[in-house]
Amino acid sequence: MAEFSWLPRSPLEHVLVVGFYGARDVAPGVSLTEIGNFDLIQVMARRGKGAELANAAKARFGMAAPDVPKAVSASDVTLIWSGPDQFLVLSKGGKHAMDILSQAFSQSASLSDQSHARALISVSGTKACAMLAKLSSLDLHPASFPIGAAAATSIDHTSVNLWRGNDRPDGRAVFNLLVFATFAESLWRTMLDAAAEYGVDIGHSEELG
Amino acid sequence: MISSQSHRLASGGLIDRSAPLNFRFDGKTFAGFQGDTLASALIANGVKLVGRSFKYHRPRGILTSGSEEPNALVELRTGARREPNTKATTAELYDGLEAASQNRWPSLRHDLMAVNQLFSPIFVAGFYYKTFMWPAKFWEAIYEPAIRRAAGLGRTAGVADPDHYDKAWAHCDVLIAGSGPAGLAAALAAGRSGARVILCEEDFALGGRLLSDGGTIDGMPAAEWVSRTLAELASLPDVRIMNRTTLFGVYDGGTYGAIERVNDHLPSPPEHQVRQRLWRIVAKRSIVAAGAIERPIVFAGNDTPGVIMASAMRTYVARYAATPARRIALFINNEDGWRTVETALGAGLQIAAVIDARPDVSATHRALAAKAGFAVLNGSVVGVEGGKDGVRKISISLTGGARAEVEADGLAVSGGWNPAVGLTSYHRGRPKWQDDISAFVPDSAPAGMVAAGAANGAFGLGACLRQGFAAGAAAAHSASHSGNAGAPPIADDEAFSLTPLWHVAGKGKAFVDYQHDVTAADIELAQREGFESVEHLKRYTTLGMATDQGKTSNVAGLAIMAAVSGKSIPETGTTIYRPPYVPVAIGAFAGHHRDENFHATRLTPSHHWAAEQRAVFVDTGLWKRAQWYPRAGEKDWLESVTREVKAVRGGVGFCDVSTLGKIDAHGPDAGAFLDRVYINTFSSLAVGKARYGLMLREDGMVYDDGTTSRLAEDHYFLTTTTAKAGPVMQHLEFCRQVLFPHLDVQLTSVSDQWAQFSIAGPKTRDLLREIVDPAEDLSNEGFPFMGAREVSLRGGIKARLFRISFSGEMAFEISVPARYGDALVRNLMLAGKPFGVTPYGTEALGVMRIEKGHVAGPELNGTTTAADLGLGKMMSTKKDFIGRVMAGREALVAPDRQVVVGIKPTDRARRLRSGAHIIPKGETPGPDNDQGYVTSVCFSPTLDQWIGLALVERGRERIGEIVHAHDPLRGESYDVELCNPVFYDPDGGRQRG
Repeated sequence: MAEFSWLPRSPLEHVLVVGFYGARDVAPGVSLTEIGNFDLIQVMARRGKGAELANAAKARFGMAAPDVPKAVSASDVTLIWSGPDQFLVLSKGGKHAMDILSQAFSQSASLSDQSHARALISVSGTKACAMLAKLSSLDLHPASFPIGAAAATSIDHTSVNLWRGNDRPDGRAVFNLLVFATFAESLWRTMLDAAAEYGVDIGHSEELG
Repeated sequence: MISSQSHRLASGGLIDRSAPLNFRFDGKTFAGFQGDTLASALIANGVKLVGRSFKYHRPRGILTSGSEEPNALVELRTGARREPNTKATTAELYDGLEAASQNRWPSLRHDLMAVNQLFSPIFVAGFYYKTFMWPAKFWEAIYEPAIRRAAGLGRTAGVADPDHYDKAWAHCDVLIAGSGPAGLAAALAAGRSGARVILCEEDFALGGRLLSDGGTIDGMPAAEWVSRTLAELASLPDVRIMNRTTLFGVYDGGTYGAIERVNDHLPSPPEHQVRQRLWRIVAKRSIVAAGAIERPIVFAGNDTPGVIMASAMRTYVARYAATPARRIALFINNEDGWRTVETALGAGLQIAAVIDARPDVSATHRALAAKAGFAVLNGSVVGVEGGKDGVRKISISLTGGARAEVEADGLAVSGGWNPAVGLTSYHRGRPKWQDDISAFVPDSAPAGMVAAGAANGAFGLGACLRQGFAAGAAAAHSASHSGNAGAPPIADDEAFSLTPLWHVAGKGKAFVDYQHDVTAADIELAQREGFESVEHLKRYTTLGMATDQGKTSNVAGLAIMAAVSGKSIPETGTTIYRPPYVPVAIGAFAGHHRDENFHATRLTPSHHWAAEQRAVFVDTGLWKRAQWYPRAGEKDWLESVTREVKAVRGGVGFCDVSTLGKIDAHGPDAGAFLDRVYINTFSSLAVGKARYGLMLREDGMVYDDGTTSRLAEDHYFLTTTTAKAGPVMQHLEFCRQVLFPHLDVQLTSVSDQWAQFSIAGPKTRDLLREIVDPAEDLSNEGFPFMGAREVSLRGGIKARLFRISFSGEMAFEISVPARYGDALVRNLMLAGKPFGVTPYGTEALGVMRIEKGHVAGPELNGTTTAADLGLGKMMSTKKDFIGRVMAGREALVAPDRQVVVGIKPTDRARRLRSGAHIIPKGETPGPDNDQGYVTSVCFSPTLDQWIGLALVERGRERIGEIVHAHDPLRGESYDVELCNPVFYDPDGGRQRG
């Protein structure tokens, strides 16, 4: 009997090379970091159960789920608005995985596991906004897109969820992108192309930003 | 040997004399300085002749110093970077620049095509239409190619552009076009008020006319004010100054287009940098401070090299310390032209004469003339003597009728100024006529846009500063920024008086549109022939249709039309203004989206494994799919595909089907919802079962198909075709949100969540038993045909198994969360090794579905009904569903519809091709007896011959009939037999076994 290994493989595994890319004569202006394995659950209120879901979410996460385009974070989870009466639950380590959340929201919501459907890319650095301006039509100026702002938008004609996380310790803004897995490699190349002139620091992390 | 800069002043100018540059023009090496344009460097080297005109190949020199230039067009750079029709007046000089004149043969000085001038009587307005009418078939073969060779502009590189371009978005409260006094004052006011400001300047240097004309602002020289202002703007965090950037268009919702020439000033872009960047700027308010364009006067010989705009003369002398001429005559009709006298005298140049068309010239000017020793003549220029080497002598008709002649090597002309109204008119706004400056000024600009300064008809420096500052403060305020804008900059206003003069009658060609060789006579001819409307005038004569879009010619052209048609200029009106303001490279619009990045691509979870197996990939929509897996020694695709099919039919194979659309439908009403969108019933489907479903469009035609499984009481899992995955999801969301909002159902795309493989062949169960947990019952009883449930795999992960078959074999589809897809495919190879497992691609998949008579994209083509596909019995009569009523229309249930049927060639050795038309045997092919067409064909390894599916009139009633397949596209004609579309295992025993 053959021995089977079931190592998960990120949709970016083939294309992501940790290290530097692009212009070398400057300090890297853009950091691109793939966040590894995560749990991502789409939660959608059942018909007329929006208020019930809101209560259940507050009980489960200790904070209100966003009802406008925002992302809210606690120590172990981020809730990202994805539409009226629906949000994404992003977490690590199985604490808010499908089977557990199914229990919590069994009365109020329909759940769909998206953990393998997306890749999560975090963008930061002095030139993060300049680089994202090539990909996104959104105004990412801090006055328009402050910490916690979120959008269901598109990059390269492809749907993405974009939200601004907490600033890095050095004060730099962090933008998180959830991209569809089958598009991830193609979008990654597009992002590298957009960032190359600023110099890119490519990394991989198992921690949510 | 590098020519000396014979026409460079010893000092002055905004050039960097410590940075000498060498460049080549038409193979000859010249020297210039950092800060030069190609035009200023050519002038500094005494080059007068720079190009040949479009139609008559007349020698031409440099007319202007900006992006309005109609004459000085060159091919810039060489090889793959060769760029035709580049304006020498805006091309920044760099070391090693290579440029060549265009539209001449064999050389610029000796252009044989100048013979065209002899035939100028036949090249008048509308000559295309008059001369080449007969015979019609000569047009494409002879006339057009000949004309294209003779008349034209530069040559494209002819090979792919090696440079990279990109596109970006920017956002601001206040967008400003132009960095002259009005633009800088606007930026200052808006920036101080706290607004987010973007200022675009097409020049590489900031300051606009201040760079050439100087002046005093706030008591300091203009240059000092500019540098102080730029320093202050740089200190404001939300003010962004973009030089080398032309705002070229305004679009809906406050969106603007701009082109940034990021690295056009270098031989090639530094590594990783782009050549140009296309900006889409979203602005709450915009201020057009784009200045004005000086207009020529139309007189005989006005295109002689050495005739130059008066403002351009000042720019070359003051900004570039380059002298277009040493003894200059001026022909003007306005006060502004006299500034050129001051500039020229200040630089030590000689003034030959000032020909002022106005009757009264001020005493100050007369005193200056007396002191400097030149004549002031009241009259008009009626002729220019000169040619390739420039102007020699100027003939003047003096007021009162006398003639005069003046010797000069340059003639500077000013007919007044036209505000740059382009941006303000791009939303069909028509500029209005303003009498005191005899020019059109902006009117009815797009929402949120105002013009300021010279662009608004305010020509005095003080007025430019006041208007710009006020516009900047107002724009910031209306964008909710009300910080202290401080005091506006102050300067005096120069007098501006003008007597309109458009055209001086005389002998010889008098050019209106230099770039398209349109003369005053052409306009008069157009009027005589009835092309009097300005839009007709434009198309008939091609006035204003060249790459300069008539920036120097349009207003003069319509003024001449007004004169000959006896109307006023405002009555004559302007043509419609359209973007772009300057030509924009297609490459900039394409940006990153070229070659392999033309569009985003989607990769299946097994893609990189398949690439390791050297699979051949095919583009299906955005997907890359493995088409077949060639093996060493196989001579063509057919051999590989045939092997794959035989391996599946005789053993076991697998195929990545992750590209199918996958949708979770949750909620207590999910079944009821599916009943409405599919023609068959899903609410009755048992948990743990799968069912094939077909959905129609509202019009009754088939939309899509796929299998849907019920995984829980309130959870269905739908699959769609690869092609329709997106549209079906949209359709279902529309149904859910708009048509059936009362149903409690939630939909989520899970297409990317699951890696899904079809495993098919008689040994499928043997393979699965290797990989599935032994506790799972895979027997026919424990997992019957159309079963669907979650199972455990050896090694711990969960998978979903669906016992469905597209190939007609015993088959399962297995799906795992997508990140395990790569592991699954490798494990399938491992588990299947004892059984000779064979990966197969989309070609083998297609062969097997045709053998089995399953319909796919070619049959689900938007023109077929369920009954056409042989699936009419699936249409439930016990419920309503989308498309039900319209599917009952007379024509859609007519007995003579074309329906799916199988075909086999009567000659077993013949190859079939899809697209052939079906006609009755013995009939002549034609639309009257066209009975259908072949939709899908393949070589069937199982039947050892080509087979196909076709849509044929009454096909099912005609099984066994021999008909004719007619393929005019490929010149083929042959007989085929109509047969049962299910060629393989018609009773379905294999898939149920």
